[in-house]
Amino acid sequence: MELFNENNKLASVIHKDHSLLPVINRLGIKLGFGDKTIQNICEEKGIDLNFFVETINVFHYEAYFPEKRLLDFSVSMVIEYLLKTHKYYIEYLIPENDRLIELFLMASPDESAENDLVRRFYTKFKEEFVIHMNFEERVMFPYILELNDALVNPVAYEAFHQKYPGYSIEGYEKEHSNMDDKMDDLKNIIIKYLPPNYDQNRGNAFLFNLFMFEKDLKNHSRIEDHILIPKVKQLEKVLLSHE
Amino acid sequence: MSNIPTKSIIVICPSDIVLGGLSEILKGSQAEEIIQLHRGDEILDYPKLSGHFLVIASPEELEKSSTLIRQILSSDGKVQFMNLQLELISTNTNLALNLYDSPALICYKANEILNSFPASQPKDTDTELTRREMEVLRLLTKGYSNKEIADQLFVSTHTVISHRKNISEKTGIKSASGMTMYAILKKIIDVNDIDTADLI
Repeated sequence: MELFNENNKLASVIHKDHSLLPVINRLGIKLGFGDKTIQNICEEKGIDLNFFVETINVFHYEAYFPEKRLLDFSVSMVIEYLLKTHKYYIEYLIPENDRLIELFLMASPDESAENDLVRRFYTKFKEEFVIHMNFEERVMFPYILELNDALVNPVAYEAFHQKYPGYSIEGYEKEHSNMDDKMDDLKNIIIKYLPPNYDQNRGNAFLFNLFMFEKDLKNHSRIEDHILIPKVKQLEKVLLSHE
Repeated sequence: MSNIPTKSIIVICPSDIVLGGLSEILKGSQAEEIIQLHRGDEILDYPKLSGHFLVIASPEELEKSSTLIRQILSSDGKVQFMNLQLELISTNTNLALNLYDSPALICYKANEILNSFPASQPKDTDTELTRREMEVLRLLTKGYSNKEIADQLFVSTHTVISHRKNISEKTGIKSASGMTMYAILKKIIDVNDIDTADLI
């Protein structure tokens, strides 16, 4: 397997790994780019080339995680990417999952007790997930951006200190593994344990979407846990040293 | 279990600095053994090598000695070669190691190849839950904590945790609500006995 680089044509990158489609959208690129290389496209659209290349590689290969290089990116850039990912989940992936699970459960009307359980498990998972994203958007990301601002802007510095007297990201960190586990459990329940009296094609369609969601979510958690949080801790230390 | 082929890395480089440094980094990979050679033909000093091998060396060295290495090593396992580039090259490729790669990337590239070797015999773990594990599962689905389950079964909390771990490994289900679903679908508990609104 090979890593992608700036000289690759974006079209051939997508042919090699189509799961990158939503990722390039989030990075600000729409299809129809002809034979342009990643570098051409990034220059045209004003996208940070290194961030683009590293992001698609990290997504493409689970084992690839050049932590040191990733820590060079600005927090605002990382947060912007994460926010776009949330938007994609809320506006597309979750509604699509809802639609597919309903089609799947409706196609097996005899097993209503089991269906209820699956539906309830999924709904609870979804609710927890939405709460988690809301928390990040309303509390954690603003904190990080204000911290980032405080380091360069004296006015923001004062405001930051008043608002967060005993500031530390540690209070905000939330476990991601819990959600990853539930996603995994849902897949296993359907693959291994649910009586197969349902329409297999509907079941598959739901599972396909779930697998895609899972891959995206794992990648999202990795970026938060291994890039964003360490970076914030770094910034907090710098701020502390200014005092 | 003794006939599982091992996965080793052979690093060949005349420079002790590179050889030592690279071997140290590769200890973080999945290789079980790392063999250091200054020249390819030193492989003759190792008559009893067996298993799968990833050989890392400069393109020139590989050209010289890959045939010999293949002859010596290929009796019972696979042999893969990987180029070691000693000058800075900007293009990322997983097919070669570069002197300036980060340790994580080096181990990643090595693991990619090590993992492509035929797996050591698949683990055939028993998937049936034992009676004790079923009991733990039943109590778990009623919402009891590890401590409460331990008290009821007259065992330590540690034992309960280890049962839970085994249940997860056997069923592939990790969360408490997932286990409740499993127990209902497998008819280990009755759906009417538990409060699903709370537990799932």
